[in-house]
Amino acid sequence: MTGLRGTGRLADDLYLLAHHETTGKPRLQPRAAGLGLAGALLAELMLAGRIRCWRGLIIPAGDGPAADDLAGRLLGLVASESEHRPGRDWLLYLAPTATGEVAARLAQAGYLRPAPGRRFGHGARPVPADPDSAFAPLVRVKSALRSPGRDAQHTALAALAAAIGLSHHLAAYLPPHADRRLAEAAGHLSPGLRQLITQAQAAVDSALLAHRV
Amino acid sequence: MPRKQSPRSPVSRALAQDRLGVPAVLFFVLAGVAPLTVAAGVIPAAFQTTGLTGIPAAFVVVAAILALFATGYVAMTRHITNSGAFYAFVSRGLGRVTGVAAALVALLAYSFLQVGLYGALGPAAAAQAAADLHRHTPWWAWALGAWAVITLLGLLRVDITGRVLGVLLCAEIAVILAETVTGLAHPAGGRLSFATLSPAALTSAGFGTFGVLAVVAVLGFVGFEQAPVLAEEARNARRTVPIATYVALSLIAVVYAGASWAMAAHAGTAHVVAAAGRLGPGLLFGLGGSGGLAGAAQWLFLTSLFAAALAFHNAVWRYAYALGRENVLPAALGRTGGNNIPKAASLAQSACGLAVIVVYAVAGWDPMTRLFFWLGTTGGFGILVLLALTAVAVVLFFARDHRGENAWRRLVAPALAATALTGIVVLAALHYATLLGVPAGADAAWVLPASYVVTGLLGLGWGLVLKLRRPRTYAAIGLGAHAVTGQLTPAAYRTGS
Repeated sequence: MTGLRGTGRLADDLYLLAHHETTGKPRLQPRAAGLGLAGALLAELMLAGRIRCWRGLIIPAGDGPAADDLAGRLLGLVASESEHRPGRDWLLYLAPTATGEVAARLAQAGYLRPAPGRRFGHGARPVPADPDSAFAPLVRVKSALRSPGRDAQHTALAALAAAIGLSHHLAAYLPPHADRRLAEAAGHLSPGLRQLITQAQAAVDSALLAHRV
Repeated sequence: MPRKQSPRSPVSRALAQDRLGVPAVLFFVLAGVAPLTVAAGVIPAAFQTTGLTGIPAAFVVVAAILALFATGYVAMTRHITNSGAFYAFVSRGLGRVTGVAAALVALLAYSFLQVGLYGALGPAAAAQAAADLHRHTPWWAWALGAWAVITLLGLLRVDITGRVLGVLLCAEIAVILAETVTGLAHPAGGRLSFATLSPAALTSAGFGTFGVLAVVAVLGFVGFEQAPVLAEEARNARRTVPIATYVALSLIAVVYAGASWAMAAHAGTAHVVAAAGRLGPGLLFGLGGSGGLAGAAQWLFLTSLFAAALAFHNAVWRYAYALGRENVLPAALGRTGGNNIPKAASLAQSACGLAVIVVYAVAGWDPMTRLFFWLGTTGGFGILVLLALTAVAVVLFFARDHRGENAWRRLVAPALAATALTGIVVLAALHYATLLGVPAGADAAWVLPASYVVTGLLGLGWGLVLKLRRPRTYAAIGLGAHAVTGQLTPAAYRTGS
């Protein structure tokens, strides 16, 4: 059911990047992962042209059916608010549930399965069904960085991952000076995506500095 | 934060629920204050070292000055980002070059406070081990043990959880109050003296002694300034942080003034200095006799010191991390490893702690006086300098734009606080030898305060370099976690009410 090409969804890839490819162990603090995945869900909608970011505010755009249930629910929420909210509000609102919802979507697609023989007293931490598919997002990031400006989705994935605290993990697998490449590639992203990514980074940093990570 | 949203929107409701109320902010503030560390550690050491008895009065007067200070401080909190750090206020009020100087001074001051705690932790643990376990180990071995645990917890990103700290905090305050009441019930000579609480006690050995006493009192209050760290997380930006700050100030003032008054009254005003030299932390523990209360107090003193050392360790790396994030300090300090752990910033502070413990152990210097009290009060002096600078910054910040704050909050209170705090800084600097309990002209009496002058000048120089050579970094100074958004989208995003 799984494939090396993945689900084609940014948040799914970020989830896999943020968790160990065989054990499923998180590489980030829960709140940082939640904020990052919240940003990734918004980025998915932005890449699909369904929302845009204007002066830091998230604004609904375009029409047509949503790509999947999760995206549909999120779009409905954004549209139902009487006034436009800053990206930061949406990040904080979505963060507590984002990790679970993305995990459920990945499980439905067959990329995650319940952990076998988990220890007593721990919540069910899903593990990747196939380590190779779970590792594949990193390979896609690597190829996206080879030609900056060509692959917005995986560039945004890499930038978001670095912003929320996965840069050491990226650095371990990407060629030397990949951070410079990434900065260059991120410069080609749309201003809205760039704002969203910096807002995610600021939210993670704020949480860290306010002792809430 | 936008305030115009409909209160019934599910998003508004969820965001409001996730926010912190007054009790959570208050606990966060008091956790960093570690009351028993001050009551059993700082106060007896201050009686002994300075030879001054006006400490109880100083707590009351300094609380009043800090309440004046807090008026403008919490008002400005509502209008800036990264309001958890003094240098953010200084950057916005006095300019970013001064802000860099303030940032480095703050880093040094908090670092002094953290490292100084090993000087009390070591001897207290050694004494406890000798009494209860009959093991005689030098203080530095215990200090190194504590250092190793704190380094490890720092790397594992462990903050002692709110609940554990809350229990410790309540137990500490209960023990201090019990000791205080018993001490006051048994005054020396059978008559309760109010002498140490009277304003006359502040200037008993000349006007300059007020500066010395005020530094000791400010040291006790360090931590009260932390409430704005949670400004972005607070339920009500206009009320939560101010209420938590004022409640913390009042509570600390009552507990410390009461405890120090009880110690002086129990030993006798004329004898408390000698008694403090003889008994050390026992000056507090002995108030209630030598029964179970004293035993519990001694154990709690250890946990209090440890919690304070860990809290300050975490405070220092967070400061260094924010500065690394802004590229004011090397960017490596602003990087995180696995699990969002800022290894470099945490290890840098651990390295400082190790170096200081080793130097004191090798030199054979007295840990309680020279490490705990000297570095602790020097840290307190640094905080005092920052408080004075911040008060000036508040006045200048609002002078450019009133931002809807009334004259009392934006001008009168902060100006009065700035005057009083600057006066205290000058008096303390002039009488630093008294503060340290050394003869006038001794090296330590000028080296320790001069460390801030050197750091401040380095900061000013570095700030100028950033202004001329790295305008992007310069533009984001003081923004902390928001440095990234500040750099990319200058006007697009601003928190505050």
